[in-house]
Amino acid sequence: MNRKLQVLAEQACVILLFLISFLVLFEDKLVLPYWLQPIGRMHPLLLHFPIVLLILAVLIGLVGRNPAGENFKLYYNLAGGFLLFGILLSGITIIMGLFLSREEGYSGETLAWHKWSGIIVFYLGCIIYRMRTWSRNSTGVAWVSAVTLPAILLLTGHYGAELSHGEDFILEPIIANRKASEVPVEEAIVYDHIIQPILDRKCAGCHNPGKLKGQLALTDSLGLLKGGKSGRLFVPGDPGTSLLLERVHLSLEEKKHMPPAGKPQLTDAEISLLTTWIRQNAEFGRKLVSLDETDSLRILATAYLQPAGSTGEQFDFPAADAKTIQKLNSFDRTVAQLARESPALDVSLFNRNTYTQKQLQELTPIKEQVVSVNLNKLPVKDDDIKSLQQFINLRRLDVNFTDISDKALPLLGQLPELKTLSIAGTKVTFSGLKENLGSYKKLQTITVWNTGLSPDDLATLRKTFNTVQFIEGFRDDGKDSLKLNPPQVKNALMVFSSNLDVQLRHPVKGVEIRYTLDGSEPDSIRSPVFDGHTKISKHTTVKAKAFKPGWLSSDIVSFDYLKNSFVPDSVRILFPLNPVHQAEGAETFFNKRLGVIGANNPAWANNWAGARDNDMGLVALFKEPVMLSSVGLHYMLETETGIFPPGAVEVWGGADENSAKLLLTIRPPEPPKGGKARLGMLEGSFRPHAVSYLKILVKPHRANKDHHLLLIDEMFLN
Amino acid sequence: MDKEIIEHGFSWNRRRFLSTMSLGIGSVALGSLLMPDLFSGAGVEDGLAPGIPHFAPKAKRVIYLFQNGAPSQQELFDYKPKLRDMHGKEIPPSVRGTQRLTGMTAGQSSFPLVGSFVDFKQYGQSRAWVSDLLPYTAKIVDELCIVRSMYTEAINHDPALTFLQTGSQQGNRPSMGAWLSYGLGNENKNLPAFTVLLSRGVGNGQGVYSKLWSNGFLDSVHQGVQFSKGEDPVLYLRDQEGMSRKERREMLDNIAALNEISYQSFGDPEIASRIKQYEMAYRMQTAVPEVMDLSKEPDDIVKLYGPDCLVPGTFAANCLLARKLSENGVRFVQLYHQGWDQHGNLPYEIAQQAKDVDQASAALVMDLKQRGLLDETLVIWGGEFGRTSYTQGTLTKDNYGRDHHPRCFSIWMAGGGIKPGIVYGETDELGYNIQQDPVHVHDFQATVLHQMGLDHEKLIFKHLGRRYRLTDISGKLVKGIIS
Repeated sequence: MNRKLQVLAEQACVILLFLISFLVLFEDKLVLPYWLQPIGRMHPLLLHFPIVLLILAVLIGLVGRNPAGENFKLYYNLAGGFLLFGILLSGITIIMGLFLSREEGYSGETLAWHKWSGIIVFYLGCIIYRMRTWSRNSTGVAWVSAVTLPAILLLTGHYGAELSHGEDFILEPIIANRKASEVPVEEAIVYDHIIQPILDRKCAGCHNPGKLKGQLALTDSLGLLKGGKSGRLFVPGDPGTSLLLERVHLSLEEKKHMPPAGKPQLTDAEISLLTTWIRQNAEFGRKLVSLDETDSLRILATAYLQPAGSTGEQFDFPAADAKTIQKLNSFDRTVAQLARESPALDVSLFNRNTYTQKQLQELTPIKEQVVSVNLNKLPVKDDDIKSLQQFINLRRLDVNFTDISDKALPLLGQLPELKTLSIAGTKVTFSGLKENLGSYKKLQTITVWNTGLSPDDLATLRKTFNTVQFIEGFRDDGKDSLKLNPPQVKNALMVFSSNLDVQLRHPVKGVEIRYTLDGSEPDSIRSPVFDGHTKISKHTTVKAKAFKPGWLSSDIVSFDYLKNSFVPDSVRILFPLNPVHQAEGAETFFNKRLGVIGANNPAWANNWAGARDNDMGLVALFKEPVMLSSVGLHYMLETETGIFPPGAVEVWGGADENSAKLLLTIRPPEPPKGGKARLGMLEGSFRPHAVSYLKILVKPHRANKDHHLLLIDEMFLN
Repeated sequence: MDKEIIEHGFSWNRRRFLSTMSLGIGSVALGSLLMPDLFSGAGVEDGLAPGIPHFAPKAKRVIYLFQNGAPSQQELFDYKPKLRDMHGKEIPPSVRGTQRLTGMTAGQSSFPLVGSFVDFKQYGQSRAWVSDLLPYTAKIVDELCIVRSMYTEAINHDPALTFLQTGSQQGNRPSMGAWLSYGLGNENKNLPAFTVLLSRGVGNGQGVYSKLWSNGFLDSVHQGVQFSKGEDPVLYLRDQEGMSRKERREMLDNIAALNEISYQSFGDPEIASRIKQYEMAYRMQTAVPEVMDLSKEPDDIVKLYGPDCLVPGTFAANCLLARKLSENGVRFVQLYHQGWDQHGNLPYEIAQQAKDVDQASAALVMDLKQRGLLDETLVIWGGEFGRTSYTQGTLTKDNYGRDHHPRCFSIWMAGGGIKPGIVYGETDELGYNIQQDPVHVHDFQATVLHQMGLDHEKLIFKHLGRRYRLTDISGKLVKGIIS
């Protein structure tokens, strides 16, 4: 190293030694001129250099401590150089620091510790440097310096960091997380669990007894009440004059805005919480739940404690092993984590046929983590409940429609955390509940619908256990009579060839169906009761109505049963069908499937064959001649949308095409305009005639130049 | 043969490539430091593996009673006496603003306001206004959160329906139920997580297509399974005649073994899905008939839901079924009731529609409650948009119609951690624009996901280079309706 430079540095160190001693001695009397302030503020900029230099010096000194070593001289000189410049820079840093500490806002214990440990570093460095030149070959000096200097350096750095970043800066994310999860809403005290934590997070970094910026400590209620250099922070009940809120509300550019620009700011929610708390007299002992439910402080605070996203209870038990959870999952048993990062588990069992108590016993490895169990509709016995007692953290249990009885109730009462219990549809009784519910310490909600409790029983229970919410449910008091829905027809096909058993049914148990076959209206006195033995052998309209005590009788429904005695051996179509209404082509007319009304019906298009611009014509052939005496057509009518009955029908029949003669002509009357859509039957009879060849021509309805659509789903040959 | 071998070589997907190349692991580990989502595979985002809620959920299951066709809010929940005062008068242009019209009323030269034909009364402690068309719903208003300020972007049924269900007006995105299945998995492994039930009323119907319960780009196990009313509620689930349960089991085991081999050599994730689906179908063979069996329902349940609940395919039967499915751990039961599209003949049709759904909807809420399930089941009732305050077609003495209206409509929610007994949001006195607390479709979706313990901004699937969400790029939680 340049000898000249070394001497210069050494002399500078001596000057600094005196200067620092002087400054420390007369610190209180010192008045810092404003133009020196920037130098003070460069303290955090410079401080890292001496730290690094000093540590390097110590390390190199340690490595090259052996005087007999090969490169001892090199190491010695190098360490000395680093040490010297380390001391020099630390001295300068200290002076800057002393300047900085004179600025407003630095005082307190932490500052004192930082100041003095820093000064010791400097003095110690000087001593070590001096000792090295006296005993050049001492490994002792190397060791002593290696132990003491870094230790004090570390201390200085720690306190310095605490000054600028606040206490617990590094562990803050972890600590804050832990703190937030500790208090359930029911136990929260507004000041302790909401106001102070806000101050801790956003203010106490600077305003603590260690740093005391503005002579203010916001780490506890005393400091908060006392205020700081500028006075009291607030008058309880009067947020308008609060110094605290004034500083918070100043614009960010203002120097007095708090927290200072660059530091984490208070959120809107936090500001409104502070404001409301002060407005409501800044009570320190007030419990959150003692406030009215509509109280704005309570609403704000509850939302703050349970921010959307992390709703629900926090659990402090450890999480179960993921592999164990996976192993316990099967097709009939679901074990699911309540949420990511939550140790809590939900258990649901489903299959009635495979349920055994063992499925509950097997859950022992996760007994601590299970918070809800769903056993609805399983054959759970009273004895099985014993297997639930291992779940010491169980909050919710659903055992609706299981086989449990009163015997299960004392067992369930031993679940220490049970809050929600559903026992609808079980055999538990009033006396069982009355005797046992007292032992349910944390029960909030119990569902008792369909358990045979009378309204009076329930009223008694509600009165006895007034902290518990009893959920009951629908009770048929017979007052609101409902109207039955009409009977339904069960026959798969409504078209038959010789005779048919009428099949009617009603979905509601115990319903009486009364019916008529002659088109008259069925009633509850004269009309026969349907018993499943009604045979018909011709076109029949069955009208039916449903009756049941306690219900209003249904509307009357009518079902058309239609007979078609002869199914042709082959059918072909003479003219093309309407492209939209092709149905099944020639097959359509004798497939026994009827169409229904309504373009919205999925089966609508399938069964209706249509024609508009040309006639609908078909030829049906029989291998053996049949004695035909009538022909019928089933059609749709919806004049509003242009669906009309046929304009005319011609039936030709005979042994073959050449001998066929006109058997029947039907000219239906003009349909009424408007009216509801309906289905109709057009039928005509003639003298019985032997037929092997049959031609049916159906002409669409025509009015002036309009051709109307014609829809036919089935024809009937009798 | 050579061709197959070459093709096989190309069929390696990235995941298989990475997992097979043992040498590659080190470099991949390094690479993952440089590209954080290198490992995220098809859609799984860092640390948010699907199947577990992001935070503790309020609701575990959803039953969505979709009123397809858009029920008229002026006749059901949004009481507007001013409309009666101004009956027949032209809607002020200042109110109508620049709202686009559908093709059905665009040609109309006049837009006379029309007051509701039905009266409203206030009910419950919440004093909510409910129309006389919904006497049963009126009785349970203290369980409901009626939102009168929903609005959407679409003006026609299909896009609006698709938007509500999938968060996008175009198809091919996963439906809400599929997202929940993806985000939360099955609760009951014997039943699908997402099921669909259809019914229709007498009113003008609008199509409901299977794209609405699509899994979109999600794994096909998340697709909605439709339960129909016939003897085979789930199509193709039944064994062929003569096949025993044991034979079926053996057959499935062998197919699974073959599929496993195929998966080993091709590594297509859809093969793994297929194995899962076969197994699910086998389980459903016993689970479904048990759920579908309504014959054991006691008489007072029939009275609660109304006798139609025993007639398969009706809305009431579907409500009862929805309760049974939900009770059995089905995450998302989607009902559609068609027939609410009253462009004309509104007074008659809407009365019929309301009659179809009123008792059963209310019964479902009560039934869940009396089983202690309402607190963890979210029930939603509503359509895809609202209807206009002016008439469509000519206004006669006792008949009118209302056209599509995206700017406001009413829905209700119950249970599942939604505030009971409140009315949220407000429209102007003509029921045309929202005056207070608007709820966009994406806000609604975000809220539903939130109740189920999912953060709508984190429930993400990466597909074709883009991260997709149910709420697309917007949506904010409706805090005012969360209890």
